[in-house]
Amino acid sequence: MAKKRKQSEKEASSELIKKKEEFSVERPKRTLLGWKDKDVEEKKQNDSPFFRNKEKVLVTCSRRIIFRYRHLMLNVVSILPHCKKDNKIDSKESKGGALNELVELKNCSSCLFFECRKQKDLYLWMAKCPNGPSVKFLVNAVHTMEELKLTGNHLKGSRPILTFSTNFDNDPHWKLLKEIITQIFGVPKDHRKAKPFHDHVFVFSIVDDHIWFRNYQISVPHNEIDKVDRGGLDKMTLVEVGPRFCLNPIKIFGGSFGGPTLYENPYYVSPNQVRTHVLLAFCHFLQIIAKRCDLGWDLLYGSLPHYKIFKPTTLSFKHQSSQHEY
Amino acid sequence: MSVLSKRPSLNKMVDDDMEDYSEDESAFDSESESESEDEEVMLTEPSKKSIYNRDGLLERLQDISWPDNVEWIHKLTIDVNQEQKVDVNDDLTRELAFYTQALEGTRKAFEKLQAMGLPFLRPTDYYAEMVKTDSHMQKIKSRLLVEKKRIEEAEERRKAREAKKIAKEVQAQKTKERSKQKKDEIESVKKWRKQRQQSGYPSGDNEDMNLPFEDGKSFERSQKKRPYVAPGDRSGGKGKQGGGKFKNGMDKKKKTRDHRDSKFGFGGRKGMNKQNTSDTTNDLKGFNKGDFSGNKKRKR
Repeated sequence: MAKKRKQSEKEASSELIKKKEEFSVERPKRTLLGWKDKDVEEKKQNDSPFFRNKEKVLVTCSRRIIFRYRHLMLNVVSILPHCKKDNKIDSKESKGGALNELVELKNCSSCLFFECRKQKDLYLWMAKCPNGPSVKFLVNAVHTMEELKLTGNHLKGSRPILTFSTNFDNDPHWKLLKEIITQIFGVPKDHRKAKPFHDHVFVFSIVDDHIWFRNYQISVPHNEIDKVDRGGLDKMTLVEVGPRFCLNPIKIFGGSFGGPTLYENPYYVSPNQVRTHVLLAFCHFLQIIAKRCDLGWDLLYGSLPHYKIFKPTTLSFKHQSSQHEY
Repeated sequence: MSVLSKRPSLNKMVDDDMEDYSEDESAFDSESESESEDEEVMLTEPSKKSIYNRDGLLERLQDISWPDNVEWIHKLTIDVNQEQKVDVNDDLTRELAFYTQALEGTRKAFEKLQAMGLPFLRPTDYYAEMVKTDSHMQKIKSRLLVEKKRIEEAEERRKAREAKKIAKEVQAQKTKERSKQKKDEIESVKKWRKQRQQSGYPSGDNEDMNLPFEDGKSFERSQKKRPYVAPGDRSGGKGKQGGGKFKNGMDKKKKTRDHRDSKFGFGGRKGMNKQNTSDTTNDLKGFNKGDFSGNKKRKR
């Protein structure tokens, strides 16, 4: 008896739920501005029926990447819900081909490749696959999300608002970079991992011919959330979440990870050259001191702790080799 | 080789023989400046060899860009005007510029989203996985708290220091005032005396009025030191106690006795040392407090 009654109760409740659902479907959707008519909404959605963003980004890094840069990569992975992370890849000459294959295997349409060289320099490749273009950046001023001074936090997978400074529209290469960045960093609408709110904002700003990246959380005082139209916007504050980095574009290639060079940064100096330059300056400084103090060349250099490093022959050799950067 | 402007001269120097450096004396200064260089180096003037394929870039842009009629909701991009040129090396203004850009962009975006009637801020009861874990946020919170505490403590210390300084000043002011008042009073008494004298009361007439405070001293205990005399002892001290009575034999013994008497007191009041006052009666230091076990035993 008891069982029967339970069943009947269940049925009744399910019927109730059904009724409720029907009822709720019939009700027009309530929004901040009031009641919304259904047909208007449908119209809007039908505006561009053919377009659907299916961007997928492959994120990988090179072997022997240092932990700081690896953490940066992991942070990027955490803020891009539409990305796929893959194993480390040897950064050899042939890495372009391997990467292209990998991207195709993973069904991705673009790629972020963090390449660490000499345990100190980080290069970032952004590529649209399979047929280009691709960009190579030098990454500076890296701060990861783990740093405690970045106090913000936001939903994992919510779609960011991308803000660009207007000087992205000045030159064609900046325009191209802007397009690539919007496609890679913008989370596709209705992505299955994306959440339906917007609680963080990305900043891409060109200052001093570098692209600076920032990620802020949008925080509105709790009781103001439903009053944004009535001055809640003024009380909005931003809290930085991280990561931070600064991209210095080096080259833009026509294809993905290769192809004809379309753009070359005329101001760019590779970090290797910078180091050599400093070393050379120091060497010259020593020579002059030696001359002034009437010290013998060998005597001065012999007294230095790292005799071999400052030996002039090694220096000139190093210097010549540094021209063949990439 | 042509990349760095300073390069050629440098290069020559290294390739040169060590001996022929006589002509390069002047180069010393310019080179020592370049020593203090940062990691980030940019060329001062663009290199001429660099490639810039304008048409190619635009063509590629055409290739990859989305169709024009794509709705904004797919892109979520906002362009924000940068008002001034930002100095890169000034951290504060740079970050401020980014912050304002983000803020302005968000406002614009929210207005657009609202016009479309889409929700954009999560409700307070919407919980989901966040980018940073709870444990990490706990760390951040504890750090913030520690920092706040440190700042507060520093503030307190600073305040205390200032208060101390002020108190000192106030104290000095007070003592000054007091001494001034005293002086004034004495002055007034002197004046009064003079007036009295002038008005016909001769000083010889009333010698008793020649009070001790009139010559600038107040009613103070005489500061004469009595050697080896206890404070309450009125016997007069060493000087008053009979010396010279016994000149031989007992003399030495008597002397030490006298000395001790004068030191520890003999005769006279004992300086109220052994009487109870309200303080001593209230002081329970000498008693065992709280241990009433003995009493209990007795009761049983």
